[in-house]
Amino acid sequence: MQQYLISFLIFSPLVAAFVALLLPAKHVSSFRYLTLLTNVIQILVLILMLLSYDNSKAIQFVEQQPWITLNLGTWGILKATYFVGLDGLSLPLIVLSVFILCIATISSWTVNQNVKGYFILLLILNASILGSFTALDFLLFYLFFEFMLLPMFFLIAIWGGPRREYASIKFFLYTLLGSIFILIVMIGLYISVHDPNASGVLVHTFNLLYMTEPSNFISNTILDPNNPWMIGPYNGRLWAFLLLFVGFAIKLPMVPLHTWLPDAHVEASTPISVILAALLLKIGGYGLARIALPVFPEAALYFGWLVGLMGVISIIYGALNAMSSKDLKRLIAYSSVSHMGFVLLGLASLTTEGVTGSVYQMFSHGIISAMLFLIAGVLYDRTQDRMINTYSGLSLKMKSFTTMVLIAFFASLGLPGFSGFIAEILVFLGAFRSNSATGILPESFAIIATLGLILGAAYYLWTLQRMFFGPFNVKGHISEDQIFDLNTRELCMLVPLAAATLGFGIFPQPLLAIIDPFAKYLTEFVLTTGKNLTLNL
Amino acid sequence: MFPTEHLLILGAFLFSLGLLVIITKRNTIMVLMGIELMLNASNLNLVAFNLFNPGSVDGQMFVLFVIIVAVSEAAVGLAIVLQVYQYFRTSVTDSINEISE
Amino acid sequence: MPLVSFLLSFVISEKYSWIVSFTAPFLLLLGALCAAFVFFYLPADQHYLREVLWFKVSDHAISGGLFVNNLSGTMLLVVNFISFLVHVYSVGYMAGDSSIRRYFAMLGLFTFAMLVIVLADNLLLLFVGWELVGFSSYMLIGHWKEKPQAATAAKKAFIFNRIGDAGFLVGLMILWALHGSFNINDWSSPHAPTPWQTAASLCIFCGVIGKSAQFPLLSWLPDAMEGPTPVSALIHAATMVAAGVYLVIRIFNLFTPASLDIVAIVGTTTASIGALAALGQNDIKRILAYSTISQLGFMVTALGTGRPDAALLHLFTHAFFKAGLFLAAGSIIQSLHQAQQQAHTHFDVQDIRNLGGLRKKLPMVFLVFIISGSSLAGLPLFSGFLSKDAILTGIVSWAGGSVSWKWFLAAILVGVSFITVMYTFRMIWTIFFGDEKRTDGLSIIESPIVMKAPIIVLALCSLWIIISWNPFMHTRWTSPGLEHHWGVTTFSIIWVVAAFGVAYILRDKSFQARILQKGFYLDQYYQAITTNIGLKMTQLTAWIDRDCIDGLIHATAYAQVLIAHVTGWIDRALVDGTVNGLVSFVRGVGTVTRSFQDGKIQLYIFWSVFTIIIFLIWAML
Repeated sequence: MQQYLISFLIFSPLVAAFVALLLPAKHVSSFRYLTLLTNVIQILVLILMLLSYDNSKAIQFVEQQPWITLNLGTWGILKATYFVGLDGLSLPLIVLSVFILCIATISSWTVNQNVKGYFILLLILNASILGSFTALDFLLFYLFFEFMLLPMFFLIAIWGGPRREYASIKFFLYTLLGSIFILIVMIGLYISVHDPNASGVLVHTFNLLYMTEPSNFISNTILDPNNPWMIGPYNGRLWAFLLLFVGFAIKLPMVPLHTWLPDAHVEASTPISVILAALLLKIGGYGLARIALPVFPEAALYFGWLVGLMGVISIIYGALNAMSSKDLKRLIAYSSVSHMGFVLLGLASLTTEGVTGSVYQMFSHGIISAMLFLIAGVLYDRTQDRMINTYSGLSLKMKSFTTMVLIAFFASLGLPGFSGFIAEILVFLGAFRSNSATGILPESFAIIATLGLILGAAYYLWTLQRMFFGPFNVKGHISEDQIFDLNTRELCMLVPLAAATLGFGIFPQPLLAIIDPFAKYLTEFVLTTGKNLTLNL
Repeated sequence: MFPTEHLLILGAFLFSLGLLVIITKRNTIMVLMGIELMLNASNLNLVAFNLFNPGSVDGQMFVLFVIIVAVSEAAVGLAIVLQVYQYFRTSVTDSINEISE
Repeated sequence: MPLVSFLLSFVISEKYSWIVSFTAPFLLLLGALCAAFVFFYLPADQHYLREVLWFKVSDHAISGGLFVNNLSGTMLLVVNFISFLVHVYSVGYMAGDSSIRRYFAMLGLFTFAMLVIVLADNLLLLFVGWELVGFSSYMLIGHWKEKPQAATAAKKAFIFNRIGDAGFLVGLMILWALHGSFNINDWSSPHAPTPWQTAASLCIFCGVIGKSAQFPLLSWLPDAMEGPTPVSALIHAATMVAAGVYLVIRIFNLFTPASLDIVAIVGTTTASIGALAALGQNDIKRILAYSTISQLGFMVTALGTGRPDAALLHLFTHAFFKAGLFLAAGSIIQSLHQAQQQAHTHFDVQDIRNLGGLRKKLPMVFLVFIISGSSLAGLPLFSGFLSKDAILTGIVSWAGGSVSWKWFLAAILVGVSFITVMYTFRMIWTIFFGDEKRTDGLSIIESPIVMKAPIIVLALCSLWIIISWNPFMHTRWTSPGLEHHWGVTTFSIIWVVAAFGVAYILRDKSFQARILQKGFYLDQYYQAITTNIGLKMTQLTAWIDRDCIDGLIHATAYAQVLIAHVTGWIDRALVDGTVNGLVSFVRGVGTVTRSFQDGKIQLYIFWSVFTIIIFLIWAML
């Protein structure tokens, strides 16, 4: 029974989408309630899973079913399985996804245009996000990964702002480019890896767990660790790592592959921004930790400095750009770029603290960025204007809103007591210790990255000062009665998020206990296997 | 006794006549008439060929059988034609056309 | 000793029990009583430790622990006591403020965070408190949000602190890499002076520079005076800014000789800049702010010279007399404001040039100012004398027998104490003596008892008796091992009296050099740096984003579209042409064959018969 829980999580929104397809389009509210019901069911299932999750075990709730088995004669057998499971990396992200999706549904209550299509797409998106966070078969992961783009594209392109076509196409092309890189590597891995349990016949498998084991590579294939072929300066495996890195970095997003993000965020409607920032970005980091690092450990050691450097550049660059933004949503989008830089830095350090901090950062950024985008949405709902210098002195008119903004901003700039602080400090500690422990990143990376903290404080406080403090005033066509405080629905979304970021900031141990074994396993695995493979070369 | 060839030629002539009627006539009843002619032509042939085997009456028996079948067929056919006529207000085959256009 | 945790939880709950703001001082009173209990019943040279697991990463557990020994016990008492007095005072001062709930909540949060700093047994927890006091200070400075200056000052304070905190964080990273632990008690013995150790201690000292407003990050403190006066007294004079000093005392063993030298130089620079700038100010609160900076410089110098006990003593005395001065100043400001409202006049009541001759109208405040001011100036019989004496003794013995740059620092410090007397005298003289200026004709009423009482208590605490029975020698509990030097004591008595005389002679002179007034133009430098470098950088990155990266992407997009057009043409002309040709051919054939089957039965029959005939003919031939 336990093993079907994940499948239940993934497929319940699909079933709901199917039901929604059959319902007539004029019952507008039925779609809303249907989606919300699905989310509530998912939360309940998730709680059930959390209760029986065991921190000491590796991968749990595994379900493996035959999916595609093709006999290609002399080419061997193509074997892809429906293989899902949860471990310390995916569980926090699944928890995050389920809750954020629920909040996104509540936030979608105000969508009035083509409600049926909207919620069906939302449900499909829901399924594919959960699917890609749990898939342990590369083909399955890739399927869900690609499947996610389509609803997202339409959700931005149909329900977005004035420049939505431009933004959605940019988003689509960017991510598609990343997917192509990933696809190339996937094919390479498919050719190179065989199933060790199949006796006699050659079985090409997509199983990610088999891919991490160097002995499962067929000798003299392109990605075989012992293969002496070089393509330019590197061998196939290093190239494959780079391709995967770029593919996932686009999603993350990393400077300089990030420019789709501000546009997509600015144009997307609030719930879509929330999902985009809180969940879709995490798939980049998840993919790096799940696929790129363990499958190519020696490349991770070799290119660790590059990953870390790009992380540091993203941190600083994103923060500087945030400071120069005039649009509140754009500012938040750039702050996401800056924060996701920490994920890269932590993963690159390959210390337990760093990797734990990275995963924690993904989780915490999910909560905080959701909150930030909801805040921007609240303002936009009222006035249709997100420019920072339109407003001043909002704190006098919107008291509880200002409280929420304060919480979100200070959480985002890493004030202790909020989850961002724990994540960032762990990343810093890991990145700094990296040189003495693993020799990947020089100390200067961590030191330069602290600049990001100062810049973060600067742009958030500057925004606070400009928008919320001082005498009350709004510019342009906005009348004063458009400015009113939060309503119950908005409070329902913001208060749990605020509570979550506070809770995980003060009591990080429950979540860390889940992540930590994974981080420990990953770093040890990558370091030992990577060193062995480097010796072979 | 006149030679068998004459009978056979008469049968062939009648058959061709029936075929011609079937192909050229537009009216369904006339087509049925043509079929009747062709059946009778074959009857004639059967009787004629029986001459080669004087001891038996097989050919005649077949002819009787065919005549009975032809009668019932004509009855059924006419009934169908009547129904079609009532439905389409015509018995011209070309205008009874539900498949094309 | 579960009392300590009880105390903590009390302050936390106080933060949320804001329904009635009057409960806050009461709870703080309880807290102060507990602290006193802890302090007096804790046996000397023992400590109490209580740890709970906070979180665990790989094999390193980071605990949240409370640690009390003599040192933190003293701080505990100071923080709780002054916080209590300030709460009481605030009830009077902030009466009628619309957001008094937030005010008391933040004050409570501040006290809590400060206690975290005081009691934390590991640096990470201390860092948490460290940032939280920064946050509550931000909220309190910006309490009057509608004032743009307040918002700016709050932002500035937080960012300056943040810069220091970044340094602190780097220090934490180095320590983690070196030791894999943050536990302060692990470093009970001095460490070998490795370069990394020096770097770590200096980085942590960066945090101290930010928080204790040392050179070069000092200019936020005068601006922070935009906040309510009780806040200035509590946070920006008595406790938060002293937290930096406390931190260094706490982790003194981490500092290597090289880093201590730098600490001493920074402290001396700060002390002189602060004192000189205080001489040039006209706003009463800004004078006090610069004087705080200068006194903090004294403490830091004491640390640098290897005398943490002297620094602690000065911290202790300074907390009382400076809080007293601030609260008294607040009381003047409030009295004058009320008088102004009655008389419908308006002038800047914080500008001492507008004041004068107030000793008759506000006798109580005058008295407090005299006592606390003398303590600040370091007159004998007041507590400030004793602590300053200890610092000077320390620096003299540190400088040693031979002449070196260390003597230079000592000389500067002696000069600074001279200037301290001068600006204190100038301030008191201008406010309370001479003729009444703009205040003439106003009917000024003294503050209510809730405000008076704390001031009086603080003034009494500025007397020598609080730290030592002997007015010229510190003998009591705070610093049993402090060495004493009669020569230094005598010298400082003479020195202070001389300074007093000079100040009296120069009483009507004003020190209006612009460089002093502007606090050595530090702000202008920062402004220039941030606008020139910071904003340029942001514009640069924005440009890179918009023009370079996006430009590249648009270029590729256009290229793609162009290629698409070309291939589109090929498609239409060649591929489609071929396909269309094929299609029309097929269609022709189709039309022919279709004519065979158009639903006409007779035609079917005709054709079949025709075929049969053909076949028959063919077969016959």
